[in-house]
Amino acid sequence: MRKSLIALLGASLFSASLSLSAANRVLIQNKGSDTLVNVAQAWAEAYKKVNPSVAVAVSGGGSGTGIAAMINGTVDIANASRSMKKREIQRAKAHGINPKEHVVGYDALAVFINQKNPIDSLSLDQLAQIFGRGGKFTKWSDLGVKVPGCPSDEIVVVSRQNNSGTYAYFKKAVLKPAAKKGLIAKGTYRQGTRDMHGSKDVVDLVEKTPCAIGYSGLAYATDHVKMVCVAQETGGPCVKPSVKTASDKSYPIARPLFMYTNGEPKGAIKAYMDWILSDAGQCILLKKGYAPVREVHCD
Amino acid sequence: MFEATARNRRAQRVQKLYAILFGLMTALLILPVLIILGTLIYKGGSMISIDFLFTEPTNGMTEGGIFPALLGTVWLVSVALLASVPLGVAAAIYLSEYAPDNWLTRAINLAIINLAGVPSIVHALFGVGAFVIFFGFGTSILAASLTLAIMTLPVVIVSTKESLQAVPQAFRVACWNMGATRWQTIRRVVLPNAVSGILTGIILEVSRTTGETAPIMFTGAVFFSPYLPQGIFDQTMALSLHLFVVTTQVPEVPEALPYGVALVLIFLVLLMNSLSIGFRMYLRGKKKW
Repeated sequence: MRKSLIALLGASLFSASLSLSAANRVLIQNKGSDTLVNVAQAWAEAYKKVNPSVAVAVSGGGSGTGIAAMINGTVDIANASRSMKKREIQRAKAHGINPKEHVVGYDALAVFINQKNPIDSLSLDQLAQIFGRGGKFTKWSDLGVKVPGCPSDEIVVVSRQNNSGTYAYFKKAVLKPAAKKGLIAKGTYRQGTRDMHGSKDVVDLVEKTPCAIGYSGLAYATDHVKMVCVAQETGGPCVKPSVKTASDKSYPIARPLFMYTNGEPKGAIKAYMDWILSDAGQCILLKKGYAPVREVHCD
Repeated sequence: MFEATARNRRAQRVQKLYAILFGLMTALLILPVLIILGTLIYKGGSMISIDFLFTEPTNGMTEGGIFPALLGTVWLVSVALLASVPLGVAAAIYLSEYAPDNWLTRAINLAIINLAGVPSIVHALFGVGAFVIFFGFGTSILAASLTLAIMTLPVVIVSTKESLQAVPQAFRVACWNMGATRWQTIRRVVLPNAVSGILTGIILEVSRTTGETAPIMFTGAVFFSPYLPQGIFDQTMALSLHLFVVTTQVPEVPEALPYGVALVLIFLVLLMNSLSIGFRMYLRGKKKW
């Protein structure tokens, strides 16, 4: 009985490998940012038609995960929605790895609120005082609104886990400058934030929670949540997040998206990177809701 | 003639009450299983088709099927079995049939039981450190399967040991008295009588391995791969991780898709479990004592 079980397993494995035997493939390992993971997936899916002899395996996990894998030398291309820190580059060099940065697109960081929330626009300072430690806005009435369906009036602050590039960028672009102005105590998030493990989770939670406010890449926007129009100054003109306002840099919290390779890319990796930056690759990025690195014409 | 006193009648009433109460508790246990299965079939049943099982995901994983993930799971589980079964069964035979009862054996037994209690995420990190980086397997089916194998090894060892020890000692003694060596006794008498229990343990291991996500997430399973795995050094998609991905990571997935994936996963596990029960019944029927 046992022998036949093992034989069965062996046979199924063997037939599985037979049915798949193709010419030798080049494998590219691509890991990192949850913001980029869906674009990376779309690129990998489309690249199969461009060059069938190259297989791109994509994993998520967050920018920190991708960068750590780059430092350990376990990936070919690391995706990140923040740039590598000096210390990380030093550690990579100590492992004999020389990270090379490529900007592959731009992303507007949208601030999401529940559809019942009457707020239309917020300034960077106001956002800092909602999200930052020691900020003065803890209740929606502090901002002069009453949110239907939110009897406690308390602002439920939705953030990301701390190895997320989105987390790091929001901190750098919104909290740090406000701390310099003295609006919040330190440039850190307030305690008691709900830290979600993915951009989609943030949007889902805000959709279901009238009291909530959160941030995520624009690509994760749905029709069931409201996007805040963000103003540089309180009372000043505000800009809605969109692919267009991210490209022309008029939206105040738009960030570059990176891919890292070990040294100058060569061979199959170079061909893949070149294709990503070509019109074909950039149009896929655009279709996923991110801003391309330059003007492209897509059909 | 026996006359029931008030005290007897009261005892009878209490006894009935407890029977009903505990019966209800048991019914309550089945309820979650029924609800889970019912919800999955109701919401995901429409997804299931030959196409869903045997085509690749398309359009940003919001359409198409799950074939790479399904095949990936088969790969991961098979390679894990190839590693853990010979190792686990051999260790169990040694511990049950050969090892003297001393402090070393007891320490090993204790270590095995503790290994079973290690959380799967810790196994995952161990897998990254040992197989992915130190042995240089990279993130691959091999690294992921070995991690799974180590994680399920205690299950195999303990269940094999238990079924070996269920074989009456008298069988062994009789055999030894005929002049047979220990190995001859094991090969001809102990193993044939214990095989049903060993198989059950292995199949239970398979069903547990099928559902694990944490250990493979860092060691070999990927979010997406446009090709099917061809060897143990490839990376692969896996059903359990795919379920996590389409539920939490991919925007605009049709509502039925994650339920469909979950349904396939749970049916795979249930299939394994019923196979295990079937085997057990078949082999038990052949037992001679």
